Amino acid sequence: MASVKLLPVAQTAMRNSPQPTTSNRMSTTTSSDESELIAQLVRGDDHAFRQVIALHHSLMLNIARTIAGDVFADDVVQEAWVSVYKNIATFEQRSSLKTWLLTIVSNQAKARLRKESRQLSLEQLDGETAGSYLDGGNFKADGHWQLPIPQWNIESPDALLEEQQLQHCINRTLNLLPPTQKAAFILRDIEQQSFEDICTILAVSAANVRVLVHRARLTLMQVIDRYQETGSC
Amino acid sequence: MLSCKQVATIASDYLDKSTPLKWQIRLHLLMCANCRRFVRHLKITQQVGAKLIIKETTEDAEAVWKNLQARLKTEAQSNKE
Repeated sequence: MASVKLLPVAQTAMRNSPQPTTSNRMSTTTSSDESELIAQLVRGDDHAFRQVIALHHSLMLNIARTIAGDVFADDVVQEAWVSVYKNIATFEQRSSLKTWLLTIVSNQAKARLRKESRQLSLEQLDGETAGSYLDGGNFKADGHWQLPIPQWNIESPDALLEEQQLQHCINRTLNLLPPTQKAAFILRDIEQQSFEDICTILAVSAANVRVLVHRARLTLMQVIDRYQETGSC
Repeated sequence: MLSCKQVATIASDYLDKSTPLKWQIRLHLLMCANCRRFVRHLKITQQVGAKLIIKETTEDAEAVWKNLQARLKTEAQSNKE
């Protein structure tokens, strides 16, 4: 029974696959290496499959968590691997293997959400948080800032990341972001995926991906702002 | 001319080079120190994000692989029945 449900997920992923991109930083293989790896997977090479699991399982789990929640994430990713195993021979390589895997896990997670009759969080572009930079209260009637933007004492990203307390604040905030924002932020700013690939993976429009990434950045910027001012979260 | 609020709303698009309003934003930044600082801080935030490492799960690839094999086996058996 399970295979009947799994196949369309992978097929949808393949239909939606964009042209190959090389923008993500996790990609440790060249396209020819990747083609060889895919050929090994198609031949049923267990070692190659273990290698792909070791490379991508963590990120797939992160994406599943942001879409389907902690409770279902493990199962969703396992289902995704089953789907990958069964459908690798039909993967046309119109996208990178990583994008294909993430699209499958994203579709699987959304399917699980629908099955559990929970609200599809991906469709929510959570409203603007009160107190954020874009809060109307921060601007005068003519659209100019009410108050000056505070200076930062530390402006080097490396120096900022050396601050243990700030790292803790950022990690905590990242985990508190609405799921869709978190997924978009991880894929764009941490994994350096292209906007086109993120649209495919999360099945949201390019405009919405941009809004989600912007909101997540603004939230983290506020964390850094507060840290610069108070030394705490 | 764009307002500060408009610039703040599309500042990420400007950093990602995906706005047709690039020149209007540049013009605004020439004249507005607050927005220059805002955009600079946003860029630093973006650079911090690029260096973040998501806490990896300690899940063993071997365990995932064994789980997968078990699932495939169960499916094959239930298909036989």
